[in-house]
Amino acid sequence: MEIPIGLKQIIAFTKRDFHSWTTYKAAVYTQLINVFIGVFSWGVGAAYVQKPVSEMYGSDYISFLVVGIAIGNLILPLVQGVSSTLNPWTLETILMTGISTTVFVVGNVMWTYIFSIITFIPYLIIGIYFFKVRLNVNIPSTIVAFAISAIILMGLAMISTGLRIVTKSTDPITWALNVLQNLFSGVTFPVVYLDTIFFTGASTISWFLPQTWVYHLCRLAMLTNASLLDPTILIAFLEGSIFAVILFPIGYKIFQWGVNRSKREGTLGWY
Amino acid sequence: MEYPIETIDLVKRYPTSARRDVRGGFHSGGQVTSFGSIFSVLRRTKGPFVEALRGVNLKIKKGEIFGVLGPNGAGKTTLIKILCTLVIHDEGEAYVHGFDVRKEPVKVLKNLQAVLPESRGFNWRLSGRQNLNFFALLYGLNEKEAKDRINYLLEYTGLKERANDGYQRYSTGMQRKLLLCRALLQNTPTLLFDEPTAGLDPASAAEFRALLRDRLARDEGKTMLLSTHNLNEAQGMCDRIAILDRGKITACDTPDNIRHMMFDEKVFNIVFADTIFNDDREKMVNEFEAMPGVHGVTPEVDRESNFNGISIRVNKNMDLSEILEVIVKRGLKVRMINTEEPTLEDAFMAITGQRKELRSWGLKTEVKE
Repeated sequence: MEIPIGLKQIIAFTKRDFHSWTTYKAAVYTQLINVFIGVFSWGVGAAYVQKPVSEMYGSDYISFLVVGIAIGNLILPLVQGVSSTLNPWTLETILMTGISTTVFVVGNVMWTYIFSIITFIPYLIIGIYFFKVRLNVNIPSTIVAFAISAIILMGLAMISTGLRIVTKSTDPITWALNVLQNLFSGVTFPVVYLDTIFFTGASTISWFLPQTWVYHLCRLAMLTNASLLDPTILIAFLEGSIFAVILFPIGYKIFQWGVNRSKREGTLGWY
Repeated sequence: MEYPIETIDLVKRYPTSARRDVRGGFHSGGQVTSFGSIFSVLRRTKGPFVEALRGVNLKIKKGEIFGVLGPNGAGKTTLIKILCTLVIHDEGEAYVHGFDVRKEPVKVLKNLQAVLPESRGFNWRLSGRQNLNFFALLYGLNEKEAKDRINYLLEYTGLKERANDGYQRYSTGMQRKLLLCRALLQNTPTLLFDEPTAGLDPASAAEFRALLRDRLARDEGKTMLLSTHNLNEAQGMCDRIAILDRGKITACDTPDNIRHMMFDEKVFNIVFADTIFNDDREKMVNEFEAMPGVHGVTPEVDRESNFNGISIRVNKNMDLSEILEVIVKRGLKVRMINTEEPTLEDAFMAITGQRKELRSWGLKTEVKE
């Protein structure tokens, strides 16, 4: 039986897109690895026992998970914000206005961040009303946690963007950090559980990842009513701040390096 | 600060290995697609290089319209992008109103803006006015200044009626005018244009040229550098032009001087009325051929022996009166005379070595680098 022409045309589109996809070898590998990591982390979450959540945050697993997902959706645009606006038409034009790097970065993520805060609230409302999420929010700590998180993530965004301006593709540092985040940052399970899954002390790796601190500080502020007047909490916030203080200037330098290198190679307008 | 734009021995090299993939081939696009190539792109620092500019020296005067002509790949866009700080040069110096483009880019951009058609940067879903307002604030204008300046520019370019339409509804000509509005937001004294009328229909192109030449250059005294492939545009607009070929300036002068720089000749085409080609006329042709400064004579005689006209190739400095004197002496009636001179296109073809399309003008010199 003859295949209908419409079906042949759909197959032609599919084959074209498949062949195109396979030419991006780096993207293929990263997607496959991301699938594996994703299945693994959710599997761990599903098999998770209650104890570590109550030990770390004095809360239940569903509250831990919903808050984690909400934070993830809040911070993701910060990492993607600058990169997603990079194209030859905007980058050259914006740079010709002579604005500073900081204004360029903050300006490009500001609306997406505001929009994320707006959409962050429905996550929590749905969590509270449908999944009985129990929040115990300390507002000043939450604001500070969000501010530290924003600085950390903008630093990462600038690193990613600076490298992407040069490679015109995935940047290996951000990719590695994102993969490690899914495994080690405690998006779907508390990092202490890693000691049970892998080996004793495995969770130590987590505390060297900036994203771990983003999730940890936000969860402390939103689940445990953590006050900055409490010395233990203050120390945790100061530890998280170290990442912010280190990553933001490094990101700034890498972004400038990427732009300057691209200007030297004449590839600023290439994407 | 004597010149709004000055370059001294400007050199730019691009690494040809910049987009080499792991198999050693070159990517056609800008993306690198495997981890190996990503790391090699981040690591690489050395060539091989291709030289886009090889020692370019330019001095552009205040209020001048200066054209840069050159074939594809000559380095025109590289030169413009260096001047507007989007590309960093390797050797030499470039100054805009006395500011070093490499060391003082912010000051450079306060004095110079560019209209680069490929770098539109407008949001398609915002109106022309909203797009301009965004850029006005980036340029540091306050809200009142921005509003006044935008109103003035929209009126100036004839976009006022459509200012609140979405950018996506704009024709190519309107988009180009909006680019010009953006470049004029800061009211910088110097402007750069890369192929200013490329893609415009003849009427829009003429309108755009008039806007640049009559209003911006003549009325407001702005200094302009434009790169173009359009030789008629260059001849009609520019006070001076430079021909850039394979990264070097091979000629720089007024369009008329460039035209005559390469050729020794011009042609007088003379049309006669009611004249038969006889022995006397033949003697006249011989007399022309014997005249100093005459390089060739071609009489136009039809099958009925009517002497319709004559084409005389002469030295470019020869005066028509010497020729007319002979014709009048022989009692011929002249219906029409025109002088055919080499065009800028002829000169451009000769200078850039594309002589296969060249008309048979007497080439004066070989261009040597």
